[in-house]
Amino acid sequence: MKKKKLIWRLCIIAVLIIIVFTFSPLVVAKGKIEPFLFGMPYTLWVTILLTIILVGITFIGGKVLPDEEEGGE
Amino acid sequence: MITWVIIMFAVFIGLLVLASVKSYKKNRSSQEFMLAGSSLGVILGFLTFSAALFSAFTFQGMPDFFRNHGIGAWIFLAFSDGVMVFFILWFGQKLRKKAREQGFKGMAGLMANIYGTRWAGYALFLSSFLFLIPYAAIQIRGISVFFDAAFPQFLPKWGWSLILVVTMILYAEVGGFKAMVYSDAIQGTILLIVLWLIGTTCIVKLGGVKSMFEQVQTANAALLSCPGPKGLFTWQFLLGSMIAVVMIPVSQPQLATRLVVMKNLKSMKRMAFAVGTFAILVISATIFIGMYGSVKYPDATAQEFWSKALLYDQAAPVAGLAIVGLFAACLSTTNSQIFALGNELRSLLPGNEKTAMQITKIFLFVFSVLVMIFASLMGDQIALLARVSFTGTSLFAPVVLAAVAMKSRPGKELIVISMIALLAFIGSQAGLIPSKIGVIQLDILLYIFISGSTLLSVVIRTQIAKSIPAT
Repeated sequence: MKKKKLIWRLCIIAVLIIIVFTFSPLVVAKGKIEPFLFGMPYTLWVTILLTIILVGITFIGGKVLPDEEEGGE
Repeated sequence: MITWVIIMFAVFIGLLVLASVKSYKKNRSSQEFMLAGSSLGVILGFLTFSAALFSAFTFQGMPDFFRNHGIGAWIFLAFSDGVMVFFILWFGQKLRKKAREQGFKGMAGLMANIYGTRWAGYALFLSSFLFLIPYAAIQIRGISVFFDAAFPQFLPKWGWSLILVVTMILYAEVGGFKAMVYSDAIQGTILLIVLWLIGTTCIVKLGGVKSMFEQVQTANAALLSCPGPKGLFTWQFLLGSMIAVVMIPVSQPQLATRLVVMKNLKSMKRMAFAVGTFAILVISATIFIGMYGSVKYPDATAQEFWSKALLYDQAAPVAGLAIVGLFAACLSTTNSQIFALGNELRSLLPGNEKTAMQITKIFLFVFSVLVMIFASLMGDQIALLARVSFTGTSLFAPVVLAAVAMKSRPGKELIVISMIALLAFIGSQAGLIPSKIGVIQLDILLYIFISGSTLLSVVIRTQIAKSIPAT
């Protein structure tokens, strides 16, 4: 249970870091289009990757979020 | 193309009738009619949530957004959706707990119970009404413009709107929430398939993904980075949009209700992950349609772009499916919004169930007529209008968040704070208040104001609640 709580907190921290990183000049960089990946410009492929990571964290979060319902499942 | 449209429509209408028949029971209770008995599993749950979330706005607005403003549109919606699905894990659990403790008919009724005043419910209903009616109208507007472009001079734009609104009223009044969930599942599936069929055609026509972006770079390199050629996607705009999108399940009752009616918490958590995956798949297809448009139709109007990229440049079966897909998307999203307003009203009505249900059904009709009127008055900037709607409803999120998160009763001052923010936002939309104060956008300032005030109220109230047993 303690381990699950720790992972849940790490998930929250990871999401916050991703948000800060995304809105920083490192990602939303004016006029920056290189390097390309699979033909896609920098900001696009980085934010696609970050979105996939967010959804992945949601999957993990769903497994470890302390359950307050129906006496656990 | 007409033959394919008729075939696809016949199949779609057949499926809708089947869903209505399957859902129809003569003596349904209002809980069964309005909330489907709160027993949705993962697959239906994620499809109905996604269909209520992704609509004509995604189908038409997003490709047009990519075409005009570039790749920042991904952050505007897809990245924001990624954060939203994570947030659903926490919010959904808290909301379901409160709904179980207090009983659930609708979000407005729940807020009235938690705050101990009906004004909390009225205020939430007002905020939903003010922004969901225009948001529903966006969908109707989108489809009437699209159909007018696809079948010029066949019917006036209002004629297309009327067909959709009548179908919507009939379907909602006969089938209830369960029928809507089935139509959402059909719509979600069609949306994903048709967007990828169109997206793939766009990629192939421009010689692959790499070649597509090379051509975009030649045509308008500013589309490949933020803030885009017109300077829209600044970090402030994108951050404000993200907050508004993350708050959609909190402040838009059609989505909050879908979290509550899931069968159990496990299904809701899986649904959140599935919605995130669905968002990535659906929105990534719109990148390619938008980029295609920026190369082929950079100066076209939105209407011309939609008719060419989504219809005339596609194979006839795909174009047929696109028309049905758009109709389905519009039908299910609008239906869910109108139905949610009806449900919110029902949750506030005193008296016996039968009378409340009759009043609700009358108001479902009234709301639909209002949506129809709005749809004939508004412009074609679908994505931006949707953003206004998201922001408007999100300003009421602190009221809901404090209600579900606090163990003790939240303060009524939160309702006043949100109402002030709401009025300020409406004032800025009407041009009475500047949309920027200094260099900061008004919506960001309002978020700072409401979150700071809410936090202060929650901390003080919690301290007071803790101190009571000790004295």
